[in-house]
Amino acid sequence: MSGYGTAGPVVHDPMSLPVDDNVNSYTFCVELKGSQWFLQKGKMIAYYGTIEFNGVGHGRLDRLVRTSFHSPLHASDWVVAEGSGKMLLADRAFDVNSYDLDDGNLTIRSGNLLAFQPSLALKQSIVPGFLTLIGTGKFVAASNGPVVFMEPPIRVDPQALVGWADCPSPCHHYDHGYMTGVMGGLRAMTGLGGASGEEHQFEFVGAGTVLLQSTETLMAEQATGVVPHEPGVPGGAGVSGSHGPQAGAPRLPGQLGDLQRRFGL
Amino acid sequence: MNAGTKFRPLWQIVRGWRGGGVRTRLRRYLHTVAMFRLQGSKVLAVDMTGDAVKAKNGSMVAYDGQMAFKKLTGGGEGLRGMVTRRLTGEQMTVMEVRGQGTCWFADRASEINLVRLQGEKLFVESSNLLATDGGLRTGTTFTGLRGASQGNGLFTTTVEGHGQAAILSDGPAVVLRVAPQYPLIVDPGAYVAHQGNVRQSFQSGVTFRTLLGEGGGEAFQIRFEGDGLVYVQPSERNTIAGDV
Repeated sequence: MSGYGTAGPVVHDPMSLPVDDNVNSYTFCVELKGSQWFLQKGKMIAYYGTIEFNGVGHGRLDRLVRTSFHSPLHASDWVVAEGSGKMLLADRAFDVNSYDLDDGNLTIRSGNLLAFQPSLALKQSIVPGFLTLIGTGKFVAASNGPVVFMEPPIRVDPQALVGWADCPSPCHHYDHGYMTGVMGGLRAMTGLGGASGEEHQFEFVGAGTVLLQSTETLMAEQATGVVPHEPGVPGGAGVSGSHGPQAGAPRLPGQLGDLQRRFGL
Repeated sequence: MNAGTKFRPLWQIVRGWRGGGVRTRLRRYLHTVAMFRLQGSKVLAVDMTGDAVKAKNGSMVAYDGQMAFKKLTGGGEGLRGMVTRRLTGEQMTVMEVRGQGTCWFADRASEINLVRLQGEKLFVESSNLLATDGGLRTGTTFTGLRGASQGNGLFTTTVEGHGQAAILSDGPAVVLRVAPQYPLIVDPGAYVAHQGNVRQSFQSGVTFRTLLGEGGGEAFQIRFEGDGLVYVQPSERNTIAGDV
């Protein structure tokens, strides 16, 4: 077929497609040789060869799920691809990249994770909305814009955070020294008089890597499933009693105190 | 052969015969071909010397030189084409741009992919077609279940002849070759266009597990066999089967 591809785009076939690498910034190619990959539902755009997609509830996959899938409560969003061939993955035209973990751990925003090798174990993070991957293997993640790697200590914007590796201390940081006193309290509450919108960050210290995307547009959250209803579990129902006192007036997150306190009431 | 040509009505065969006639051949000789080139990945520049291109209505962003823009009713396919498009719902508002100089086209910052046709047929959704060389013929064809699974309707647009066409995609399209040795399976939501002598069939992975909510996530797929190219975008449209 001489008519094809003259000075046109690159034409791919099963031989020219890369093995476990990016086709372009937005498309990733996975090669399966009788092996398995976990992927989020609906992220496969095309494949060559014979590949079977099964929900993780599939009986034959029980053993696999037991060893590498530990967030049973959102299992319905994941499928296992199995077979031989090459498979293209993409996510809403976002940037996709693969990452290698070598006996490590990485926590990632649930909406960003696309696929992973079963040699990694997927677990729900204690931090709500995040998933943790532990072990050795490759995974594919999407981000809005290219990913930037940073070394702690660092404070990052919550919307730009994609995930972190080996940092045990993700915590909130509030930076509103200028919002003190009654006027400051009113300002923080109403936004009148100027709030930079950057008063709240996530802080990371210790050894590790922090992954940032180059935009503050979040990708749609993917439900991570509910956590057990136990006291002491963040996000669980047992917690609701502990922040009972603030049930009255709406509070801005991270506000140092209510107006009542500032007025000395 | 594709599904559309199997039940080809008589008038289409007649039209195909006329297509190779003296008039078309003469036009092909006189026709100076418009030059399509990409400026960045989201803007199409077309250099014209008195010839014409067909483009999606309102997609012109700039031009220099002398240009005339004429709305073509019914996709510029004449009365029959107009009726067909109206009946099939595969509507396309097209303008004809003719002149001397350069004209730039873009649509909602979508990625643009250039396709060069040398006699083969390109199948593309009308909403994904940005511009075609004036010498290319456009028409509609029946796609069967594939179209329905994409939520695009049962009909699709065809582009045929010699020349260039520009198609739109959400994110740069990946061009995949289909050969008899290696058929290709594509998610309906990511399919953009295909060209060549490709047979498509609809393949469903719906099992009782899908009904239990434990489906494989890829319940509906299109299988391409034969010899040609398939354009796939790195994004999925919302399809009726999106989450099954």
